[in-house]
Amino acid sequence: MARVRECGYYDIIVIGCGIVGAAIARDLSRYALKIAVIDKSSDLPSGASRANSSMLHGGFDDEPGLLKAKLCAKGNRMYRPLSEELDFKIRDCGSFVCAKGAEEEKHIEKLYEQGKANGVIGLEIVSGDKLREKEPNAAPDITAALWCSSGAIVNNFEATLAFIDNACQNGASLFTETEVTGLLFDDAGANISGVSTNRGNFRAPIVINAAGTYTDVISRMAGDDSFKIYPTRGEYFIFDRSAGNLVTSFLFSCPSALGKGITVARTADDNLLIGPTSVRQTDREDTGTTIPGLDEAFEGAKRLVPRIPRNMSITTFAGVRANIDIGDFCIKAADKPRGFVNVAGIKSPGFTSAPAIAEYVAEIIKDSFGGIVKLEKNPTFNPERKHIPRFSELSNEERAELARKDPKWGQIVCRCESVTEAQVVEAVRRGARTVMGVKMWVRPGMGRCQGGFCSPMVVEILARELGLSPLEITRQGGNSKLLTGMTKSPLLPEELS
Amino acid sequence: MNHNTREIDVAVIGGGPAGVAAAIAARENGAENVAVFERDREAGGILRQCIHPGFGLHTFGEELTGPEYMERFIKRAHEAGVEFSLNTMVFQMDEPLAENGGKTASFWTMNPDRGVERVKAKALVLAMGCRERPAGALGIAGDRPAGVYTAGTAQRFVNMEGFMPGTKAVIMGTGDIGLIMARRMMLEGAEVVAVFEIMPWVSGLRRNIAQCLDDFGIPYYLRHSVCELHGRERLEGVSVVEMDENRRPIEGSRKFIGCDTLLLAVGLIPENELSKMAGVKLDAMTNGPEVNEFLQTSAECVFAAGNVVVVYDLVDFVSEEGAKAGKSAALYALGKLSDGGREFRIETDSRIRIISPQKLTGGQDVTLYLRVGEPVEGKCELYAEHGLFSKTLRYARPGEMNEITLSAEKLQRLPADIKSIKIGLEVS
Repeated sequence: MARVRECGYYDIIVIGCGIVGAAIARDLSRYALKIAVIDKSSDLPSGASRANSSMLHGGFDDEPGLLKAKLCAKGNRMYRPLSEELDFKIRDCGSFVCAKGAEEEKHIEKLYEQGKANGVIGLEIVSGDKLREKEPNAAPDITAALWCSSGAIVNNFEATLAFIDNACQNGASLFTETEVTGLLFDDAGANISGVSTNRGNFRAPIVINAAGTYTDVISRMAGDDSFKIYPTRGEYFIFDRSAGNLVTSFLFSCPSALGKGITVARTADDNLLIGPTSVRQTDREDTGTTIPGLDEAFEGAKRLVPRIPRNMSITTFAGVRANIDIGDFCIKAADKPRGFVNVAGIKSPGFTSAPAIAEYVAEIIKDSFGGIVKLEKNPTFNPERKHIPRFSELSNEERAELARKDPKWGQIVCRCESVTEAQVVEAVRRGARTVMGVKMWVRPGMGRCQGGFCSPMVVEILARELGLSPLEITRQGGNSKLLTGMTKSPLLPEELS
Repeated sequence: MNHNTREIDVAVIGGGPAGVAAAIAARENGAENVAVFERDREAGGILRQCIHPGFGLHTFGEELTGPEYMERFIKRAHEAGVEFSLNTMVFQMDEPLAENGGKTASFWTMNPDRGVERVKAKALVLAMGCRERPAGALGIAGDRPAGVYTAGTAQRFVNMEGFMPGTKAVIMGTGDIGLIMARRMMLEGAEVVAVFEIMPWVSGLRRNIAQCLDDFGIPYYLRHSVCELHGRERLEGVSVVEMDENRRPIEGSRKFIGCDTLLLAVGLIPENELSKMAGVKLDAMTNGPEVNEFLQTSAECVFAAGNVVVVYDLVDFVSEEGAKAGKSAALYALGKLSDGGREFRIETDSRIRIISPQKLTGGQDVTLYLRVGEPVEGKCELYAEHGLFSKTLRYARPGEMNEITLSAEKLQRLPADIKSIKIGLEVS
């Protein structure tokens, strides 16, 4: 049998580079640790961190005492300073949970009380009319609403990339297209010693399982089957920016047992976002949309904002949440094997909670694994990083300045989102490998023409920068090649005779 | 300051058929400094990738390819002293400035060599053309794999870059680019399984159905729509349903069709981001600027022509309208444009879906371009009220434009209390 390839020794391995894994890696990079983050997808973020509502929840949805109630409220407070340190987009829009009639009003009162108990600030119950003063397009039959001034919306792609980008700047190593196939143990299974992957074995005495919808699969590899993940699909629509101004805040329907219900929001980049539905499925990765799902999302959104124009939708998508059967986040170190930490069931409000989860995990490592690794300060830790400059948000003076230094700043490749060649090149330099990866980084293809204009140019730049043929460029890794071959070559004159 | 400001007489945004024709006409009508701002490396617009023949029958009396057709115009433009700013994107448009007792257009360009420049022009012609409606607008469910392209993007890959977007294609929509691409894919050795059209009629030109589908044995199905995509990485197939009279899916009609490529030819939309920034009034039906017979928009120094105003069926008309807009812009820049003094609104009956121009002043003879909403198969009478125009048509189809010419003289003779002119189609 061929010897398994060894991929190196680390102090800590983080499985999964969604917002949770990325935030953990970034927080741990404060310490002098050798960290490996491994993710099976080609480009980040993938999974639920790519496809979600991008909402920063206030923290009133969950009952006091639950871990997620505590971490959500704390995470929310952490995001604003983080968005400045790490340079990702956030918009303080506030949120309304909208109630129609006495029954639902009772429910938002309960949420108000819960929020207070969870330490959420800026909560207020307002009348339907008061809501419509701020949101004139909200449905006329909304009778009351719970306002939460700390509700905000974030660019979830930028945020996830910002955390991992900063972690890597501070010494962490990211391995994409690396899929965990098993765990490695020492001492007859008493201690974890690493993971085996399609690339080979990565060794470390601490392994953090932040594998999203696969956390239960990984946990079972460690012998812990105490929880089960129920992949739950949520379908969404994105609308053209010109529909974005239908609302300014984040509007929620009154929640039900299934989830927080359909929402209507203006994204950090000013598109209108509606969704999600909530349907359990067995497949952990099926992010296809369905006709009934899209209809449900649209009808649900219309209950909040009746005049949403369906024909202004620019795309639809679905995300799969890692719902868990224990009713709370499951974040704990295993008794056996020692060194294994589950960070599982991080469904909504997972994105909001992520920075607080990261600190919580660091505490676990400090408290439980002091004998394995020492959390000593990383002397070169720099908490700040800059995103790739966003051409669309620069002043004309700044644009001119950049273009003078590098002509690639003067070459616009995506007209809908005003993205320059320089941004695409820099995205590739920072790790984007596919058309989707570039899109996550700097947005070409996210606008109203959905890549019709820019995709040939993005393919060309990717190929050039990666030293590949355009035929090898994929949409999102794997076999998602965009082009299938060359056209017929013209006959040369000598071939004609 | 990090940028230059250029001051010119007539600026034309877009170097396609409308823009180049406008620039030539602007020079021929006395404008001194005329510049075309084109974001691509070369002028020509979408015709650069339209390497099939069929262009210019109306203008030149011969059948040219897109590049050949444009070459003739570009040559004339160079001879006329038009300046081309290539590789230059207009990324910001200001509302026209009040300057020197009139209005001045102002916008910002980006070019890799010259960086950011501000342009001020005495008159501006918008000629940005149109763009394709993307898949997202259709609400097709399912996966989001590689292999789904608008027909124009696929055309660019094949004709400009030399790459094939797939080996086995389904085409959704009977827009002309889709039909042309069906043939193109076949010629390049790919398989084209079928073309599906949600409406009960074809939206492109009949001649393209004959030359691109029938001649190649490609079947097309009306009242059918792709409803779902299959394939997580590369497209593996699509589900197609048949629609009833009310455009609702017929139960049990759903079928799977294996393919690795879906090309979309489901409509063109005038490209009006800059028009909006300029503050010009748009027509809700055409999605382009409202214009009068001078192709002047609601902002007096801003003119517009070609597919940015209304999506045409033949490029010859685009060039003609471009020339009109260029002439008007030159006259405006020279302070010589005078309108006819009347104010007529064009109104339409329910058979007519779009029409342009929408306003007339009686200042010069005008051609109104219109499309019907649904086909009328059989004799019908296209008319303009007040006895201004009448013509018997053999048929009227959404895929083919109809024209109405109105003389300025007749318009001027109408009683002063007439403020609107109704255009209609009488079916006999």
